[in-house]
Amino acid sequence: MPLWFARGLRRGVVTTRYPARPDASAASLPTPPSFRPEKLTRDLVDLMIAVCPGPALRRADDALIFDVGTCTACGRCARAAPYAATPSGEFELAATNRAALVKTIPILGEQR
Amino acid sequence: MITGQDEAEAARQLREKIAAQFGRSLHIRTLDTGSCAVCEQEIRLLSAPHYDLHRLGFFFTPAPRHADLLLVTGPMVRAFEVAARKAYEAMPGPKMVVATGACALGGVYRPDPFVHGQVGAVLPVDVWIPGCPPSPLALLHGLSVAVGRLAEKTPGLTLIADGQSPGDGT
Repeated sequence: MPLWFARGLRRGVVTTRYPARPDASAASLPTPPSFRPEKLTRDLVDLMIAVCPGPALRRADDALIFDVGTCTACGRCARAAPYAATPSGEFELAATNRAALVKTIPILGEQR
Repeated sequence: MITGQDEAEAARQLREKIAAQFGRSLHIRTLDTGSCAVCEQEIRLLSAPHYDLHRLGFFFTPAPRHADLLLVTGPMVRAFEVAARKAYEAMPGPKMVVATGACALGGVYRPDPFVHGQVGAVLPVDVWIPGCPPSPLALLHGLSVAVGRLAEKTPGLTLIADGQSPGDGT
C-alpha cells in the first residue's frame, strides 16, 4: 500500500499543504529556463531561437526577449547551451498582466 | 460627496462583505477549446486527494450558469468560438477567465483558418497560467492569484541566472 494512502487515512485527505507550505514534488517539475547574460552572444541567441519549437524567444538587437507564457519548458535551449541557459525552477508563473510574462534579457557576452 | 478615500473604504467594506457571504468559495467551469487534454489531466488531478482543491473552497461545476471562473485550455479553435462566447455570456457576473497552458497563451499554434492561436482573441482573459502543461501546483497558485489570495511572483522574476551552475562548461 502506498505510504501516502496510509498517511492520508491517518491524518485526513490532504497530503500536500501547498500553497501554505512548499510541495516536495515541485523540485522535479520541468520549468522555463533562466539565462546567464554574460554567456549569451548574438550567435548563441540566434541558435537558441532556431532550436526553440515555439515563438517564446526573440532577439531585439542586443537583448533576448523571452516570453515565458509561450514557453513549453521543453529544455531544447538549455540542451543547446547548458552553460548559458539552465532550468529556473520557477513554476508559480501565473500573471494578471500578460506583459509581465515577457522578460528582456541583456546579451553581454563577447562575440567570438 | 464621495472622496477617493471614502470610495476606497467603501470598496474595502464591500469586498469584505462579499468574502463573508460567499465564504470565499469559487466555482470553476473548465472549457477545452481544442487542447491535447494534458491540461485537462492536470486540472483533473486537482480534485484528487493529493492536491484536494476543495479544501481551498474551489469547486468544479458542469454548468457555466453556476460558475464564477472559466478555466480555458487550448488554442481556441475557430469551430469552438461561438460555444466559448455562449459559455462566457451564460456565466453570472462578476466572472473571471483564466487562460491555462502554453496553447491558450499563444505558444503552440499560430493564428490560421482553423485556430485563433490564443484564448485572448475571443474572451477577455484576467489571469494567464503558463506551462505545458501547468502542473497542479501551478494551477493552484494561478487560482489563488485569480481570487487575490496569493501575490503573483512573475513581475519580480527576471529569469536571469547568476552564480555557478553544474552545467557551466566554459
